[in-house]
Amino acid sequence: MNTRTRALLFLPLGAALAAFLLWGLAGLPDFGSTQGPYARYLARHATAQRHVTNVPTSIVFDYRALDTLGEELILFTCVMGTALLLRSSREAEEQRPSDRPTSAAQRHLVSLLIPVTVLLGLWTISYGYLTPGGGFQGGVVCGAAALMLWAAGGYRDHRALTPTGLVDAAEGLGAAAYIGLGLAVLAAGHAFLANVLPLGSTGTLASGGTIAVLNWATGLEVSAATVLVFHEFLKEYVQTLPGAAED
Amino acid sequence: MAADLVPLTVAAPLVAAALLAALAQFLPRWVPDLTAIVVAAGVTALGVLLTLASRAHPIVYWFGGWRPAGGTALGIDFVVEPLSASLVALTGLLTTTSLVFSWRYFEEVGHLYHALVLALLAGMAGFALSGDLFNIFVWFELMSVSAYALCGYQIHQSAVVQGAINFTVVNSTGAFTLLLGIVLVYGRTGALNLAEIGEALGSRPPDGLVTVAFTLITTGLLVKAGAVPFHFWLSDAYAVAPAPVGALFTGIMSDLAYHTFARVYWDGFSGALGSASAAVRDGLLALGVASAVIGAVMCLLQADLKRQLAFLTVSHGGVFLAGIALLTPRGLAGATLFVITDGLLKAALFLTFATVVRSLGSGDELALHGRGRTPREALPALIFLCCALGFAALPPFGTFLSAALIHDSPGPGWPFPVLAACLAVTSAAFLRAGARIFLGWGPRHDPLLTSAPGKPGEPGEPGDGEPDHGGGGAARGRTALLIPALALVAAAYATAFVPGVAAEFITASHSFEQPRQTAHQVLTGHLPPSPPSASYTPTPGAWTTAAAATAAALALAAVSLRTPGSRPGRLRRVLVPPAKALKSLHDGEVGDYTLWFTTGLLALGLAWTLTLR
Amino acid sequence: MTALTALVLTAVAVLGVAVVLARDPLRQVMLNGLFGLSQVLLFTVLQAPDVAISMAVVSTVAYPAVLLMTIHRVGPQDRG
Repeated sequence: MNTRTRALLFLPLGAALAAFLLWGLAGLPDFGSTQGPYARYLARHATAQRHVTNVPTSIVFDYRALDTLGEELILFTCVMGTALLLRSSREAEEQRPSDRPTSAAQRHLVSLLIPVTVLLGLWTISYGYLTPGGGFQGGVVCGAAALMLWAAGGYRDHRALTPTGLVDAAEGLGAAAYIGLGLAVLAAGHAFLANVLPLGSTGTLASGGTIAVLNWATGLEVSAATVLVFHEFLKEYVQTLPGAAED
Repeated sequence: MAADLVPLTVAAPLVAAALLAALAQFLPRWVPDLTAIVVAAGVTALGVLLTLASRAHPIVYWFGGWRPAGGTALGIDFVVEPLSASLVALTGLLTTTSLVFSWRYFEEVGHLYHALVLALLAGMAGFALSGDLFNIFVWFELMSVSAYALCGYQIHQSAVVQGAINFTVVNSTGAFTLLLGIVLVYGRTGALNLAEIGEALGSRPPDGLVTVAFTLITTGLLVKAGAVPFHFWLSDAYAVAPAPVGALFTGIMSDLAYHTFARVYWDGFSGALGSASAAVRDGLLALGVASAVIGAVMCLLQADLKRQLAFLTVSHGGVFLAGIALLTPRGLAGATLFVITDGLLKAALFLTFATVVRSLGSGDELALHGRGRTPREALPALIFLCCALGFAALPPFGTFLSAALIHDSPGPGWPFPVLAACLAVTSAAFLRAGARIFLGWGPRHDPLLTSAPGKPGEPGEPGDGEPDHGGGGAARGRTALLIPALALVAAAYATAFVPGVAAEFITASHSFEQPRQTAHQVLTGHLPPSPPSASYTPTPGAWTTAAAATAAALALAAVSLRTPGSRPGRLRRVLVPPAKALKSLHDGEVGDYTLWFTTGLLALGLAWTLTLR
Repeated sequence: MTALTALVLTAVAVLGVAVVLARDPLRQVMLNGLFGLSQVLLFTVLQAPDVAISMAVVSTVAYPAVLLMTIHRVGPQDRG
């Protein structure tokens, strides 16, 4: 079937699908009109029960911490799968990585921005249970700093500062720390991933019990995963630069 | 006691996966191999333990200790009952076997391979046990992403890239469909817990939202299961997966989605759809029978062994779906037992293919004609024969008992002869392939059969997706490679002789189909009454049908081996055009597959729009 | 629903369609970034700042970077 026939056939089907979906969506409550029992309960009790001021974080790392465990492992598996496939498709590690000359202005500007980005990432992670943010968001920001390293200094610096072995290990250990905490709590005789640490005082960094620990484990895992993805794709990218082929 | 071990079914493989990814690069090869095997064997033992421990009533485990407050679920629960737990045990067993096999099979393997297999194991275990609709989606995704990467393991072969991409695109579409259905349900009920959803939807007749949501969730799960017309990706993907991974895909991954569908239906929707259960049954039966028929015909038309097995997975998946669709304890018990016994056989056969490909240099039955006529190939030939006869529900072994349960279930009688015929056809395909390879019977060419794409019968090429290995036909450690497969076949055959196994499965299915009791237990913690004990012996009708299926399989295999010149051969020439037409639908174009997906979704949606009242 | 929500929802719909209709991969990446940005606005307007932050970093930095590198890598064979 060629693209045109397919598009023509899809036209009526797509229209029918849209109508079908709209029929289903029409059965939803009006916009902003109702709050489900779950949402109502959490809005009322979460801060009192968990001493955190950012309720979504208490859902993510406490009430539904198992979902986050699964999601973190999805990210982990995606990145490991990507790494496995890209590494096996590259015949050999290039000996002298080629580089792309950058202007002095770019180097200086980006170099200044790197510490700011890392700081922003760390701040987003640390205050995740007080204000919007958290391990996932902050982790991606931290990981983005690795990309800026390439933009500022070039591929060689990037490669030197993010060795594959270290990043692999950081990613695995971040994921293992999350599950390990759950297992430790289980071994201590509580439910898996139960929040058994002191909850601290609401509104300070010392609050939330295990939420803080899981938040940091996620931050580590996501940072490392982001760095690892950039690392693998940059390796692919630099092979296309002039000079790479001549090696 | 057993209840405290529930989280380990997912936590143990995941923590091992994470640690292996972090540390395996610094360790010798045997450490990750051994660790992964030990963990998978541990999950198997856990599955068996939980199956036995949950016989009296389901075990409900609340993660984080968040018990429901006033009928509102706060956390996420796993609901462990014997059917799900036995599937976890099967998942663990097949993963263990697959890892034992890959230890000797891959001459070298990246340190991330084991991490991905363990992530797949955890995804499947969580998918089978979770009692929370969104959490089911999370495990669905985890098992999908690890499967995509494992499927594309031999990425330098172009067929592998194509197959893995089709797998990824179609399965992701299915995942979004499932998610959209979950969103609709959450918008209506404000709940994600299946028991709570069941209570909230109640017994009011279904309206537009419930119909659409149920269609979307069903479609999403059926894509993963590979039911017609959502199955097109399956043969492309399974045909290129490396053997140890393919054994897991065909042995359990697809069929698990049928089981999860059954749980979502009973716990979440059966209250709302209960008055229209005949419409649900007919819609699912239609899909099940269509899958069984199309899968069986396509299976018979392949020359590539892995593709045969991929289409057999589609066909037998249709049989499971039909068993579930009967909506009776016997039907569900038979379907679940069939997933187990058939899964063991399929996995064993996939592993055996890999050793045949390695020693004889091809995975194509026409190219292998007569090449297996050596005493060295006696063991693979034996496994071939046992699996093929098992596929035809050979009495009185494991698959027979499962098929007999479906046969003896109350409900419409018309599907069973069709399903039995489909079992016979799929069985005939492997009897034919075995006779051609190991006995050299039949012609070397057959216009009806499709060889592996790109290399029709070209000798000396390894099968797609298998690792390239130096020097043809290394017999080193071959028997050791075949022992896991032989063990799986023995387990499948022996299942029928476990005392009271059929009655236990019926009892478990009976409680499975009492969603109000389960919901009460999940939301308030009150234990349900012990289920009535059942007893079962196959009826004479089941014996006759199964014996006829086995005989038909042998006869059909004999007919399909006749040379084109003979009279049956000439008759078969008439079949070439329709066979070509059916095959041309499976063209590897992912755009076409998406079109079929949309058609299937709409057809199911339209049927249920008109009938669910 | 306020006028602002309606406006942002329209932007999400228009940009989403635009991403699908774009044929040139490079153009598609840019449009996809804008589409992501419109979702950031949507989540902010709907008072879901956590999701907005995730979407901001993923859709404007991580995803385009990976896509651009991939397009560059496979580009020469595909652009014919």
